[in-house]
Amino acid sequence: MKWWRSVFSMELRKILAYRSDFWVTFLGQTFIQLLIARALWKSVFEAQNTSSMEGFTLDMMTLYYLIVPIGTRMLTGENIGFLSREIYEGTFTRYLIYPLSVFQYKTITYLTNSLFYGFQLMILYVLYHVCYLGDSLGNLPDLVLGVSLFLVASMTYLMMAIVIELLALWADNIWSLMVMLRFFTTFFGGGFIPLDFFPAWATNLLQWTPFPYLVSLPVRTTMGMTSVSDITNGLIILLSWCLIFMMCVKFIWIKGQKKYTGVGI
Amino acid sequence: MIKVQNLTKTFTSHVKEPGLVGSLKALVKREIRTKDALKSVNLTIEQGEIIGLIGGNGAGKTTLVKILAGIVHPTSGDATILGFRPWERHNDYRKQMSLIMGQKAQVWWDLPALDSFILLKDIYQIDDATYKYNIEFLAETLMVKDQLRTQVRKLSLGERMKIELMAALLHNPKVIFLDEPTIGLDISAQKAVREFMKNYQREFKPITILTSHYMEDIKELCQRIVIIKEGEFVYDGPLSDVQKLVGDEKVLNVTTQEESFKINVPRSELSQKTKEVLEQHSVLDLNIHDPSIEDIIESIMRNGVGAS
Repeated sequence: MKWWRSVFSMELRKILAYRSDFWVTFLGQTFIQLLIARALWKSVFEAQNTSSMEGFTLDMMTLYYLIVPIGTRMLTGENIGFLSREIYEGTFTRYLIYPLSVFQYKTITYLTNSLFYGFQLMILYVLYHVCYLGDSLGNLPDLVLGVSLFLVASMTYLMMAIVIELLALWADNIWSLMVMLRFFTTFFGGGFIPLDFFPAWATNLLQWTPFPYLVSLPVRTTMGMTSVSDITNGLIILLSWCLIFMMCVKFIWIKGQKKYTGVGI
Repeated sequence: MIKVQNLTKTFTSHVKEPGLVGSLKALVKREIRTKDALKSVNLTIEQGEIIGLIGGNGAGKTTLVKILAGIVHPTSGDATILGFRPWERHNDYRKQMSLIMGQKAQVWWDLPALDSFILLKDIYQIDDATYKYNIEFLAETLMVKDQLRTQVRKLSLGERMKIELMAALLHNPKVIFLDEPTIGLDISAQKAVREFMKNYQREFKPITILTSHYMEDIKELCQRIVIIKEGEFVYDGPLSDVQKLVGDEKVLNVTTQEESFKINVPRSELSQKTKEVLEQHSVLDLNIHDPSIEDIIESIMRNGVGAS
């Protein structure tokens, strides 16, 4: 078996090794976030005395907030600090000793996590449609397209994250930068509030950044709210950013690997 | 073969004064301290040789191992192992090398050892027959057959170390770096690891560099030792010749009613010194012997060669 298939299989076994964590993230986190969002938006809709805001009904909003948390988890893959923590602790050393590329290895473990959450997203989505007879939004092809877009977005986010994580080779702590990246991604990606509620000047500005295509585009695609041109444009911008960040990773790694001291061993 | 020429490594680190004022100052300006971890060291090791790298904390032995394992880049100098420059991390080199660190786990803690071994089989492209043979041979000789299916984090320290050894030797490496392999282990586990390494060395003849604070490890496994002090080699030669470093010297072990102490005395002054001790103390016991290897190395590490 090729090593990357073994890494994929091993990462999957690692995720499934902790049953409580599996159920807490799958059900607890998703539904708590969903219930809070629905309650808040219900109040907003009632206060405005309207059934639709910026093209969203309350049922559409509910579905949006069902997809966002698990989609964001797909996007952010492994836990925050997955590489910098290993650099600080010295466990990063193992990837330098084994005859493989550290970045290929990390990409596979990351995408394994993303695929796993993608699978959870599909189950939840189907459950939603089976159990809840609200507006019928999206269909199976939309779901597959949305999950695929989330996977492309995950690759781009991974490259952005690695650029910051590798700064741990110079700086003592990059935790705050990672928190900022996650916040910006969620906020400017439409994870807190759909981008339709942002002022026009902000959305015009954001369209050149990777953020709207990391969260908003895949979520809206899953809901069947995007056109072919939206998806094509989004993919081009997303892949361009991915390429830029990949080049940054290469540059930083060439410089940074000489700084690694294997501290802790 | 390992060939090291004028290898130097300098580390820089930030220094912060203690207390709140120091922390506030460090926000604006930090003092940088430079430390020479290795000072132009030279070393040649032939295939099949096992050498003991001995030195106090911060002497530079782990830095040397890290450079030779390809983890750290040197500041200057050169090194080749099996024809490769380690820090270039050529896959053909990494497939023939192994690093075992007593304090750090390389196998995956959340999984049973066998899961990690399957991954390593694919990473090192070990064929099925060799993999099967090595798993059985290593598990049998290290006596961990029953632990292979248990999550690694649930194993005892000794069992974990044996699993680490298995993981590191699965691909029959030609170069092995053993960094404190018996640290934290109980006496019987230390003995088992030593015995295993001795047999492994005899059978597979890899180049092995062993660093350890336990002299038993060194005495059992190494014919040749390198003593490193403040980044410089102060001795490189047979373990049996280390006694020559202290010249014609004897050790006086004295036990009085109040205390026990030992004194290193040149043989020519032995009778005079013994007389003085007997006159100055109410001696309960006194014996004279040659300095042990531990005594000599401790003395060299503290005072340097010729000052013991």
